Formats: sequence, C-alpha cells, structure tokens
Amino acid sequence: MKLEGIHTLKAERRVIWVMIMDPDLLVKITPGISELVKKDEFSYEAISEVKIGPVKGRFKGELSLTELNEPESFNLKISQNSKIGNVDAKIHIQLNDLGNEQTEIIFDGDAQMSGVIARTGQRVVSGVANSLTKQFFDALDKEIEFMKGVDG
Amino acid sequence: MSYIGKSVKRIEDKRLVTGKGKYTDDIKIPGLTHAYILRSPYASANILGIDTSAAKSAEGVISVFVGTDIEGIRGVPTGWQVNFKNGDTMKEPAHPLLVTDAVRHVGDAVALVIAETKEQARDAADLIDVDYEVLEAAVDPAEAIKDGAPLVHEDAPNNICFDWELGNPVSEVDAALAKAHHITSLDFINQRLVPNAIEPRSAIGHYEEHNDHYTLYTSTQNPHLTRLLLCAFVLGIPEHKVRVVSFDVGGGFGSKIFHYTEEALVIWASRKINRPIKWTAERSESFLTDAHGRDHVTSAKMGFDKAGKMVALKVDTIANLGAYLSTFAPAVPTWLHGTLLQGLYTTPKIHIDLKAVFTHTNAVDAYRGAGRPEATYLLERLVDLAALEMNMDPAELRRINFIPAFNGVTEPGYQTQVALQYDSGNYHGVLDRALEKVGYKDFRKAQQESLAKGKLLGIGFSTYIEACGIAPSAVVGALGARAGLFESAQVRVQPTGKVSVYTGSHSHGQGHETTFVQVVADKLGIPMEDVDLVHGDSDAVAFGMGTYGSRSLAVGGSAIVKSVEKILEKGAKIAAHKLEASVDDLDYANGKWTVKGTDKSIAFGDVSLTAYVPHDYPQGLEPGLDFASFYDPTNFTYPFGAHIAIVEIDKETGKVTLQRFVAVDDVGNVINPMIVEGQIHGGVAQGIGQAMLEGAVYDESGQLINGSYMDYAMPRADDFPSFEVERTVTPCPHNPLGVKGAGEAGTIGSTPAVVNAVIDALWKAGFKVKDIKMPLTPERVWTAMNN
Amino acid sequence: MSNQITIKVNGKSYTREVEGRTLLASFLREDLSLTGTHIGCDTSGCGACTVLLDGKAVKSCTILAVQADGATVKTIEGMAENGNLHPLQASFKEKHGLQCGFCTPGMIMVASDFLASNPKPNEQEIRESLEGNFCRCTGYHNIVLAIKDAADTMSA
Repeated sequence: MKLEGIHTLKAERRVIWVMIMDPDLLVKITPGISELVKKDEFSYEAISEVKIGPVKGRFKGELSLTELNEPESFNLKISQNSKIGNVDAKIHIQLNDLGNEQTEIIFDGDAQMSGVIARTGQRVVSGVANSLTKQFFDALDKEIEFMKGVDG
Repeated sequence: MSYIGKSVKRIEDKRLVTGKGKYTDDIKIPGLTHAYILRSPYASANILGIDTSAAKSAEGVISVFVGTDIEGIRGVPTGWQVNFKNGDTMKEPAHPLLVTDAVRHVGDAVALVIAETKEQARDAADLIDVDYEVLEAAVDPAEAIKDGAPLVHEDAPNNICFDWELGNPVSEVDAALAKAHHITSLDFINQRLVPNAIEPRSAIGHYEEHNDHYTLYTSTQNPHLTRLLLCAFVLGIPEHKVRVVSFDVGGGFGSKIFHYTEEALVIWASRKINRPIKWTAERSESFLTDAHGRDHVTSAKMGFDKAGKMVALKVDTIANLGAYLSTFAPAVPTWLHGTLLQGLYTTPKIHIDLKAVFTHTNAVDAYRGAGRPEATYLLERLVDLAALEMNMDPAELRRINFIPAFNGVTEPGYQTQVALQYDSGNYHGVLDRALEKVGYKDFRKAQQESLAKGKLLGIGFSTYIEACGIAPSAVVGALGARAGLFESAQVRVQPTGKVSVYTGSHSHGQGHETTFVQVVADKLGIPMEDVDLVHGDSDAVAFGMGTYGSRSLAVGGSAIVKSVEKILEKGAKIAAHKLEASVDDLDYANGKWTVKGTDKSIAFGDVSLTAYVPHDYPQGLEPGLDFASFYDPTNFTYPFGAHIAIVEIDKETGKVTLQRFVAVDDVGNVINPMIVEGQIHGGVAQGIGQAMLEGAVYDESGQLINGSYMDYAMPRADDFPSFEVERTVTPCPHNPLGVKGAGEAGTIGSTPAVVNAVIDALWKAGFKVKDIKMPLTPERVWTAMNN
Repeated sequence: MSNQITIKVNGKSYTREVEGRTLLASFLREDLSLTGTHIGCDTSGCGACTVLLDGKAVKSCTILAVQADGATVKTIEGMAENGNLHPLQASFKEKHGLQCGFCTPGMIMVASDFLASNPKPNEQEIRESLEGNFCRCTGYHNIVLAIKDAADTMSA
C-alpha cells in the first residue's frame, strides 16, 4: 500500500524537527501508540493498538529512523507484529522550509501487510491510514498552537 | 414401477431439512482432540527458526509438531503428469505436510498444534514464535516467467512447471490466419476464483491401537482416491488398514476432489498421540488453502473468411498453478482446456500453446467446469466480439459455423482438431430454442428503442460444449493420468428382495441417494422404498473414483446398470427353474418374471429368497444375488447448450443488472429433471458470479487481500433474476443410460454470455470496448464508458 | 473463566458452564450436540448458523452464549413438531430448495422469521430477505420458490 501526502505546519523547520524527534511527544500525538521506548539513539520499541475496519489488534514492534539529514529529511522504518498480522512500512519524510514560520512535510512510502489484516479489511486500510495521518497532523498542529501560546 | 425421467423428491432431504445431516465436523468420538494449524502470514520466506516451547507447555496442549518432526514423508502427490514439449518430465516439487525450511504461499502450514479443545489449540498456536526471513514473491503468472523473477522452487527455472501444445501445426494455423478476411483478437484474464463450498473442509484422524487400524473421516468428493494417495503415496500405511469415511458433504465444486495435507496430518498425528484428532478449517483457512480455480492469462486470435466462416484459432495461455501441484492441477489447463477449443464449430485449424507456472500463491486446480469454462469463455467472447466487429448477427455467425447435427449411432461422432471425438450433438437445436425463448427479434427492437431513451440494454450469447463423464482410463492414462477413471458398483439383493446399492461415486449435494435409487428401482421394477444407496465409505464400497467432472451418473450410474443387468440375468435363471420354463420364454416387467403368453409368474422377492434359500435351485448355479461391476467408459460425454443473458447497464454508475438468463442445455437423457434443473441453476449462478462479482485478489507481496466473506463478493439471492431453464435431449450413444452429465454445464456456459451482453450493450451505445476485466464491477464498466 | 448460563432450546431448559468467549453457535453444537446449526465462516457472513433467539433470526456466531443466558432459542432441530415437518421444511424438500444441505438450516430459520413479519412476500422481497445467507449450490432459484410455497401454505 502506498503512503503519501503533504501537510503544511505553522512552525519553523528546526522546531518541527525537534518535535518529531521527541518520543514523549510522539506517543502523545500519534494515534494508537501507547508506548514508545527508546532502544538506542534512533530506534524505539513501540506498542500500539489500532482498529482497521473489522479487525482490531495490539501491535508490538520497532520503529527506527535512518538516513537522518537534519533538519531536512529522514527515513522512517516501522515493523509491527500482532496476532492479527504484521505491518512493515518504509517512509521517506522530507521537511521543506517555506519561510514565514511555515514548514511543508512531504511523506512518501510503502506499507506491506500480512496475516488477517491483509485479507480481511485491506480494502479499508488506506482509508484508515489517511484518517490516522490526519489525526497525527491535527494533533501536531495543536501542539504547535499550544507551544506558541506558552511562548507568547 | 417407472421412475426414470420423473422429478422424484429427494430421499436425502428428510435428514437435511431437519438438521440431522452428518457432516464431518458434526462427528464426535470419545477422546477426541482438536488440531489447529499455524500458517504462514508471508507468501515467500525462509524459516530461520521455530520456537514451540511456550506452546507446548500451554494449557490443554497435547502435542506440537513442526516440519522436521515428520521425517521421511515427502508430502502429498499430484495425480497427473504433463510433460514439457521437448519430452522432459514436468517439474514436480514436493508439497510437504508441514514446511521445513521455507514457506511458499500465505497459508502454507508451519506447525500443527493439538489440544483438548479447539480454543486451546488456537491459543497455543499464538505462542509459537517463527523467525521468518521475508523474501520477494512471484505473484503475477505473466511476470513470474520473466528472467530474474523470484523463484518459487529452485529447480523450476522461470517458475515454469511445464509447457504444452495441442492442435494443428502452428505453421498451418499461422498460414490460415494470414489468409483470413478478418481476425478478431483478444487479450484477457480469466480470473482466479475461490470455490467457497459453504461447509469448510474438515478431517478427523483416528488411529486405534487394538487392531492397528486407521479411520479418516473427511469432507471429500473422493474417498477411495484419498485413501489410495494417503496410503500408497504419502504415509506408506497398508491400504487395508485404513478406512476413509465421508458422510454428508456440504458442497465441493471441485475443491474437495483433492487429497489435502490436513488429511494426512491428522492420520499421522493420531498414531503419534494415540487419540483421535479433528481439524476443521476456519473460513479464512478455506480461502487460503482450498484449491482455487481458473487463473489464466490468454491471448487469442480467431480468423474468419469473407462469409464469416471460421478459418483458424490460435491461443497462447499462461496458467497459474500456485505454489504446489494440487491433485489434478496439471490436467486442468491442458487436457480439460485445450481439448475444448473446437467448441461447437467447424474451425479447421486450431493451435494452443500453454505455459503452466508456479507462483507464491495458493494452489489452483479443478473448480466447477475445470478448464472447460476457460475454453468456453475464450471461444464465446471471440465469437460475439467478431460478430460486433464484422457487423454480423452473433446468432447467425454461430449458426454458419456450427457442426451439423449427428446422433453418434447411425452418424459418426465428430473428430475435432484437438484430440476429442464428440459423441452426439444438435447444436442448432439448442440455439434455436434459446432464441425463441428469449424472443430475440423483439429484443433487438426493444434494445434500439430503449437506447433512444438513454437505457443501455445488451444481449450476450454463449453456445458451449463440454467433455465430461470423466473418463476412459486408457485415454486419460495415455494423457498422463496416474489413476484410472472408471467407476465401481455393487448391487446386493437381500433375501427379502430389498436392495442395497454401493457406488464409488460420492454425492456432495447432487442427490445420488435419489437418482441412483430411481435407476435401480426402475430397472428392477420395485418400489424405491426397497432400495438404498451406500456411498462415501471405503469399507462398504469396493472402490470408487468419486464425484466430479459430471461423471457420477454417466460412469457410476452405468456401473450400477451393469450390476442390475447381472442381477436380472441370474434372477431369470432362478425364475426359469421355478417356473419350469426356459429363460428365453420369460419376460421381466413390474418386478416379476412371467412366462410369455401365460399368467405364470414369479415375483422378484421370491426369486431373491430362492437365491439365498436354494433348496429348489438350478443345478450348478451359485447361491446369492449380489453383483459387483466396474464400468470404464469408452469416450467422454459431451453435453452442450445455448445460454443467453440480457443485461441493463446504468449509465451513471456502471452498475450491471442481469435482467434475464435463458439456458437451454442438452445433457442427454435425464433421470430426474428436478435435480438436473437444480444443477443448472447452481452452475449458472456460479458462472454469473465469475462474470459479475467474484475474483481472488493477491497483492504484489502475495497477500490474498479479499480472503473473507466481508471482502470476497459471494453471489447473493438478490444478485440474480429467476433463471429460465429448458432442455433438449440428444442421448449419449455410448453409455447404457444415454446420459451426459449436468453438474458443470451451467457454469461452463454462463460466464461469457453475461460479459458478451455487457459488451453488446456498450457497442450498441457507441462504446467500442473489446474487453472489460472480470468481475464486471460498476467501476470497471463505468470506466469503460468514460475513458 | 467460566459462567453458568441457562438457555431454553427447542422447548427444553439447559444449564451449563461456559467460557466467556464461547459463541452461541459453538455452545449449541459442542455443548448441546445440536449440530444442525452449521458454522460456515468466521465473519458472520454466511448465515449458516442462523437460529431464532427469542423469536428473532440471529446469526448464532455473532452472539456469545452468555448473552443468551435466560433466552429462548429455536434451532432447526426444533422446527418439526410431532413428527410433522414445518411448512418451510416441507417446501424446501418439495421445491428442491437444497442440494448439499449445509446452508439449509440457516435458510429455513431466517425464512421463518421473515414470513412471520411478511406472510405474503413477493419474489424480490424474498430475495432481499436472504441477503445475509449464502448458498453456493442452488443459485437461490429454488430456495426462493420454496419460501414462496411455504408462505402460500402457511397463509392458506
């Protein structure tokens, strides 16, 4: 499954970079993630609960960042296992500085599923992914608003 | 008593409508344990390690087995060998009961967990840790044969199991095409289908130490062949120590012909744990492991002369076999497909070239029609399309190309260019009747008028032939079958004149217990109540080749008739003795022998009693009245028919509504018209399902992404109109009942009629679309109109 | 974890200990040996397991046995009375509304609920009432005729 999109955030690129490198914040804003434990500098153990159409599962696995090119881009590798199947995703994330305290995030990647989630409900997965992505960026927007409020 | 030709209500229904049927999962045995099979979530992966320790100590668990525990067993075999064009033997990789080093499709069996309850077995399977190294998968058969594609089996380069050809020399076909006035060509996919018998497969293995015997209860179409393969080819158990029993079977459609790994696993493991083991598939497992059907990628050309006469047909097909060779897989795209490319037509030059390909997907084998629907789809799509392209009437184009009627008795059979000799046929007859029934001329007028009102109506034709009544053993043996395809029957007359009939055919919904009893009661002139049919038990029935390929009545019924004839022949000797007459002076009718021209007679029951109480008895004649017979047909049987679909397309949404479906089939003589019509209805529905709704979808990583009833579009009651079904009768000249078989006809004929109707509607509305990929979803039809 | 439940099935009361996760379908088949209720899928799609729960057709694989505590259930085994087939059972036989018979109990149970609310249905209404039940053998043709036939008998 293709994962791609663009979102514009109202903060400087460097601020965004710091925010999305912060595991505590990520746990807070990423839908479904309940635990993110740092394994080493660029990899985490993640536990998440996600409902995809008719199937619901508790996923456990790894989340790692590679090819970091601060503050412009990185690759996000997610490998999650559960009783209802496994998900492996590789996503390239690009942060473009638009000036005027605006940053554009472009993400582009592929996710592969197996097991029950692959054969039951895969037709709704891209819809679920889009809605989770939207929730993520909405939450990130809110965090930025909140930060600005504190700063201001 | 006359029963043949009557719509007698079914005997088996009494138990089935009251919930008293006995399907395999209904069986309970003291000490029964339950199995769950852990299956691969990946299409292709190496197994680096399996940790079963947590599962083994889980609550209720009796045993956990992995592939390395099953030493020395290669796996389940295939029953048909097709050689490469150059004579090399096809690639025949092992299909292990449990994998050891690698998985080759999603659903491949990795571990067997046996516990006191099904839930405990399932819970424990969740605790098994398998370390997979995930690999790239070969999924699309057309891609799989390219250099550099991932290999399913190391020893099958380019994933090719075999290549194959049939027909006239390709040079002759090319030459005929070069001279053709018009060539219609079509590249298309005959998509993969999931059989979806509503009863999931189930098997119980029961080893009993006290007599060293095994019993396999299994939901199968083919109990004896299953026993033979299980004993002689998989586990090496002496055949006389194994009983295979199959009571009621909840549909099969081909998918339960085959010997599956789970059957061997429960038998093998039952001896290991010395307790009976039941395994029943969950629907998800059925989707992943019941052998699928169809899955051809085809490119075809049909050439015509100026008058519209067919001059040549050239076909290139890639057939997907999946990851392992299922029991009859090699036969389906070859001898059950290529041989049908003559259709009902006099095409003088025909050639098919075929590649059979392994992919990292579930196995593909016979599914209702098996090869013949693919051949019919190919021909009938080409014919309708040619008619549109040449601006000819599709019915007329067929008529001028039909083989003229022949009865196969005083007129010879028709020798095709592709190996078969048709038995008897009247192809104009079925088409004319179907046209009349549908009101063809009026329809064309209505079509034009409705187009003016913005309504898209279409009519589609399909005139098909099939080869069934499978099959003459010597012929199929020469073609690579590793089994004979005869049938056995025993008719045992009890001393009181009641009759037990034993057949190697095995009903999974066809109503053998009624039809076969009709035949016997009719021939013996006794009430049906006095006759019972025994089937599906290898201890009761001498041997059998099962029910598939529309063979039960044509082959199994013929074996029964042979036994009945022997009963009557011996009975006449006893009757003659008792009546003090000669055998030649006796008539047999209405259950008694009568001395011609007198009122002296003896009833069937009295003769039976005499056979078992032979006090006053012909000298030298053996007591008893009990005869076994084997019948090996001399040819296939060739049912045929004309199917017509009328559809309406909603222009805004692309939704196709099937308004009418007319089927005129000729299945030879008919024993029970009600049952035959039921077979046609069901077959037609499955064919329409392929055209409009169904299709297994694998993604590029080899995941079956519609492997559930929420995702796979099973046909529902409101997807269909009432079917309009009729018959003509052209008896089969070479079997004693004159029957041809009705199980697959509906499915073989119906699919192209529906697709042709949609294409017709589009052309008449100005959208000159040659093909829309099946199933014809609203999206695909809409796209065809809006591109 | 087990729970004690009491369910009245086909007129007889049963008290049993069941696991919380036990489905009504499994309870009927395994605990009560009423194997006429068939299980054809794992996503509540096929309808083979349909029974009447307090008079309403339900797929017994969507209901936990504990949810049916105190309820009245009718299965295919309870349809015939005093040795006489229920009109639906008789019509399925008469009209050849079954072949392999696996979907039949579910079809009969769902049709009995449907005819209770719509005693004189037309063909389209019958077809729509079978939306939740799969048959792979009959193409539904004779099932529709059987239900129509039973409706005629029952409302006569």
